[in-house]
Amino acid sequence: MNTPQLTPLLTADGVTLRYKTARALITATHRVSFSVNKGERTVLLGPSGCGKSTLLKAVGGFIKPIEGHITLEGREITEPGPDRMMVFQEFDQLLPWKTVRQNILFPLRQARPDWSSAIAEEKAHSYIAKVGLSKFTDTYPHQLSGGMKQRVAIARAMAMEPSILLMDEPFASLDALTRRQMQDELLRLWSDTRFTMLFVTHSIEEALLVGSRIIVLTPHPGRVKAIIDADNDSLGLPGSAHFREVQEEINAMLFADRYDQGAGI
Amino acid sequence: MSAVTDITIPEDFAVVEQPLSLAARLWDNTLVRRAVILAGLILLWQGYAQWSDNPLMFPTFTETARAFWDALVHGTLLDKAWTSLKVLLMGYVIGIGLAGFLAGLAASTRFGQDLLGTLTAMFNPLPAIALLPLALLWFGLGIPSMLFVLVHAVLWPMALNASAGFFGVSDTLRMTGRNYGLKGWRYIGHILIPAAFPQILTGLKISWAFAWRTLIASELVFGVASGSGGLGWFIFENKNRLETAYVFAGLGTVIIIGLLVEGLLFRTIEHHTVRKWGMLR
Repeated sequence: MNTPQLTPLLTADGVTLRYKTARALITATHRVSFSVNKGERTVLLGPSGCGKSTLLKAVGGFIKPIEGHITLEGREITEPGPDRMMVFQEFDQLLPWKTVRQNILFPLRQARPDWSSAIAEEKAHSYIAKVGLSKFTDTYPHQLSGGMKQRVAIARAMAMEPSILLMDEPFASLDALTRRQMQDELLRLWSDTRFTMLFVTHSIEEALLVGSRIIVLTPHPGRVKAIIDADNDSLGLPGSAHFREVQEEINAMLFADRYDQGAGI
Repeated sequence: MSAVTDITIPEDFAVVEQPLSLAARLWDNTLVRRAVILAGLILLWQGYAQWSDNPLMFPTFTETARAFWDALVHGTLLDKAWTSLKVLLMGYVIGIGLAGFLAGLAASTRFGQDLLGTLTAMFNPLPAIALLPLALLWFGLGIPSMLFVLVHAVLWPMALNASAGFFGVSDTLRMTGRNYGLKGWRYIGHILIPAAFPQILTGLKISWAFAWRTLIASELVFGVASGSGGLGWFIFENKNRLETAYVFAGLGTVIIIGLLVEGLLFRTIEHHTVRKWGMLR
């Protein structure tokens, strides 16, 4: 809509990723290219084995591509850094020896020495409030529920004000009710601060709910099948006819090979 | 169309929250339960010693207590204990430091991992006391020899526990730490050590116990020759004089110091760290 010739914030160009297991060398993705613009909610969607998490970890700097480049703001990503904060699926991502407040303050102090402690303190408090956990500021993680832990992890990542937020199936371990609530909260947070986000999920519904753009990946090895514009306003609510239509469309896309093979049976 | 159930609690409902009785709360206290066991053991001891009536071989509890008090107030027991503790602390700190360095190296490089694995496999099964003759040969009589065996007693169990703890740290926590931009010793200090703290604490406890035993045993050997010793020497000296009650008092001191460190020091550390963090029940 606005500024058509925007340079993308994040670019993945022909990225091939491989990792070693005890038995074999596995190609996770094969020459995957995509880009993410500032303020976009991009979703990497695909079934297990499509390398979406590996791709996210490569953006995080934890894995080096054996072919291709990933650049953030024009600089090649070579190692992990606080400009790309990750939110993981696992509940144990918070440091158990720090309270909610300390969990958010600690990375601020480490990675943002230019911020005075008053500023850091204020940021921490405002982001704790944003995720609705002001009452739990001095609570240790083991006393929080799963959903609360994920909220703290999101607050921690957002408080760093990174260039991009990397979310690795952050709601996959939650129960269905909490998950729905968290998805709505995430959207509310986004409309508040308009952060850039790269979100990994295997749920088509979640991708449509959370994303403004969906990159569909197919498995073994992961390749980009399609890039779908999924602005929530045009899509309608989950359950509406149009929403279901798009859902079906993506489903067919993901399992196209299987349908072709199964046609003769 | 929807039915909402009335969920008010009926008036005859027994209790929602009832405070426990004083006795029940006291019995929940570990220290109280242990004190009761200790009192039972002391009663048994006193009873047996009085029945056998042989103070040379087995003095009563009251005799031992008197000897303990005498040695504490008029004698040199406190001095001897302090001499022992000084040497012990030195050896302990050096051993822990070396173990931390080796475990840190093992956590960050594969070479370090292999080095630690080989060294612990070789030296962990070797009792520290077995090194005494060698220590005497190399360092002669005195504190350097004791430190040598003490460091050996502390280093391997500590390094083994610390590195096992480091390897047990979850990938998620590791990635979180690296995500913050932490590297090298800062990463080890801020992420790996606190995350592995339950095992590190176990290592500290085990190696404390090893060090304490090794020290007393080696003092028995050194004391004979040098004449200026700690608790081990106190025990040996009194055995030579057939002051069995004082031998018991010396042994009691060894036990009391061990209990104090285990029950007070380590328990307090545990309470303020791993239990508070929910890493240990």
